[in-house]
Amino acid sequence: MKQWHVRDIILVTILAIFMGVIFWVTGPVYTVLAAALTPFGLQPMANDMLLGLWCMAGPLAGFIIRIAGAATLGELLGSIVEMFLGGMWGASTLISGIVQGVGAELGFAFTGYKRYNWMTLVLSALTTTLVTFGWDFFRSGYNKYQFGFMMLLLLTRFVSVFIFGGVLTKLITNLLGRAHVLSPRIRA
Amino acid sequence: MNPSLKLALVVLIALEISFTQVWTVNVALIVISLVILGLNRIHIRTLVWLTVVPLFFASALIWSLMLRGNATPHFLIVLFTRMFVYVYLGATFTQTTVPLELTRSLEQNAKLPAKFAYGFLAAFNLFPKIKAEVATVHAAAMMRGQVLHFWSPQLYFKVILTAMNWSDQLASAMMSHGFVEWAPRTYAINVPLRTRDWVIFGASLLLVQIGLFIGLP
Repeated sequence: MKQWHVRDIILVTILAIFMGVIFWVTGPVYTVLAAALTPFGLQPMANDMLLGLWCMAGPLAGFIIRIAGAATLGELLGSIVEMFLGGMWGASTLISGIVQGVGAELGFAFTGYKRYNWMTLVLSALTTTLVTFGWDFFRSGYNKYQFGFMMLLLLTRFVSVFIFGGVLTKLITNLLGRAHVLSPRIRA
Repeated sequence: MNPSLKLALVVLIALEISFTQVWTVNVALIVISLVILGLNRIHIRTLVWLTVVPLFFASALIWSLMLRGNATPHFLIVLFTRMFVYVYLGATFTQTTVPLELTRSLEQNAKLPAKFAYGFLAAFNLFPKIKAEVATVHAAAMMRGQVLHFWSPQLYFKVILTAMNWSDQLASAMMSHGFVEWAPRTYAINVPLRTRDWVIFGASLLLVQIGLFIGLP
């Protein structure tokens, strides 16, 4: 299995910061969405609708840097950066980062880090959804919702993760593939 | 306190209160965190910011659970206070530790390989450049009449190419300054790991356990 080198570590961190900055720019979207949905008691929907965007660093890092642990490290480093740059959730960001990273990682692990295609991304979206939902089940009290609403949240989350972590990631990696920047890594 | 141990303590407590439902312990943790923050002279503006935003999200979550869920009032109080424990407890760490200290401590005390410690620091210090780069990519596209949204693949594509470029250059720069991944290193600045740190760590965890399991509401 390929080893981590300082170049990959820097790349994963820079990627994570880039994703963080892009997300930051969209920060108002979340706040506005959450504020608009709150009167209807739908605030968690805002969270679940945009969750895919938060989790994109994982599948993207896993797809570009094809080393075991890349997805986890991408999310974890991203959360450390967020923690220091004024993210208000502090140390619990780290836990979320690990949870999201492991979720994305499982998808890649199930293919034995051998196949990098559509299936891998769909699998990764599925594992990310299940693992992060399991975490919110306890942490954010999702287990106390009525069953129907809970399923709606789960479905929303999967669609979000699928669109951002699956479709968008695939489109990005297609562009990267056409630019031939992925090829030497595939052979490695 | 030693940064690595401090981080471990904060993460462990946050993890534990995520799975337990004792609001009195949550309140105690909030009070202790606020005292620590006060002793470290946190800016009032930061504190207000750390209070107002979570207040919105915590209230919205509670409201949502009241409308669509079947949670008991006790559980709602637990959840409400839990959000604030995350924020204030997290702040006791971030307000008293800088990234350089943490990476040094992780390398020396937690035996994190040097390549991870320095690789992370190298990238972290690029933050201002990264922010500027995102703005540049947006502006460059605008000049050609293209608007890049957060769902545009081109935006990520350009940014990833830059990231690949920079990581190559940074890695070469580190090598040319004599950084060797596997070589043993000595430290110019030692981060001490004292008995006192372990005592604070153990005692705090013990107190939380006692609080959580003696049957407080």
